[in-house]
Amino acid sequence: MDRATLSELQTQMERLADGDRSAFHPVFAVLWPLLRRFAARHLGPEEAEDVAQEALVKIFFRAGEFDPSRNALAWALGITAFEIKTLRRRRLRRREDAVREGSFGRLRDGAQTPEMEAMTNDTERMLQEALGALRPEDAETLRLYARGERPSLAAATFRKRVERALTRLRSVWRTTDGRP
Amino acid sequence: MADPDRLLLERARRAYEMGRLGAALRWSLLLLPAVGIALVCCHNPGPTLISGAGLVLLVAFCQWRGQGYRRGVGPGLVAGFVPLLLPILAQATGHVCASGGCLLFPTVCGVGGLLGGITLGVLAPRPRDGRAIPFVTACLIAGVAGSVGCLLYGLVGLGVMIAGLLAGATPVLAARRA
Repeated sequence: MDRATLSELQTQMERLADGDRSAFHPVFAVLWPLLRRFAARHLGPEEAEDVAQEALVKIFFRAGEFDPSRNALAWALGITAFEIKTLRRRRLRRREDAVREGSFGRLRDGAQTPEMEAMTNDTERMLQEALGALRPEDAETLRLYARGERPSLAAATFRKRVERALTRLRSVWRTTDGRP
Repeated sequence: MADPDRLLLERARRAYEMGRLGAALRWSLLLLPAVGIALVCCHNPGPTLISGAGLVLLVAFCQWRGQGYRRGVGPGLVAGFVPLLLPILAQATGHVCASGGCLLFPTVCGVGGLLGGITLGVLAPRPRDGRAIPFVTACLIAGVAGSVGCLLYGLVGLGVMIAGLLAGATPVLAARRA
């Protein structure tokens, strides 16, 4: 953006803040392509279009409060950047929800029929019993391992503990369930 | 301009007007305490309520419309608050008119109007190049704000206050013009 356009945007934005409606169209004509390009640099084409639109509407909503001592371009880009950040945060949250939904979904899928549900419940009950028969340290190690967590130990030490706990679990499982 | 852009333009225009309106209403709501005090003090709240609502709406309109209209709001309110508050303060002293000939309250309105008029004459934007809107807005707001206080004493109070405003503002404006 050249200096003349920047200075024109500043002037028109000040007029718009003062309530001069004739400055509306020039500000729109400068800001819309600019915000679209700015958003496209950070997001995919469809998301960029949506975010640029939302940002533009917000900029005009707050245009009456624009402080003429501020730089109009920096102000407009700041609002757009905030919109981009908000969309990213929302997308991340949606992804986390989908992962959570997916894990429960798999559980639900695994228990589609009454027989499968009963089997799943039985297996879970037996597993809980087997874990209960283990030493508390081993049971805790396996729970942490299942959750993908690791206590404040060296990775190799934790791996060794998991191996030992699994060996003990298999041994308990064999004796309680009678399976090899 | 393509259709989607036209739709966006309309949406942006609506957002602009809504944003201005919201800000104007928030601004004009700051006048509510003054109107509320006047309402608490008066025995006949109807006219005071009408002029108070008129003041809030007038200020909201001027703030929303912007430009010259907005430039008249500040001076108008400063000038109008003198005749708005003086009668309320006089009422708060607890003075009771012993006879129908008591002139305290009309005098208070007159003095308030006179002081407000001088303030208006000093602060009001000068009407120049045929642009009288800020000046007219300032005078209108000063008059309506003053009426909120002076209507406590009925139409006599209002009339005396307007006469005071004119008497105070005219010489100052004439001196500024000279």
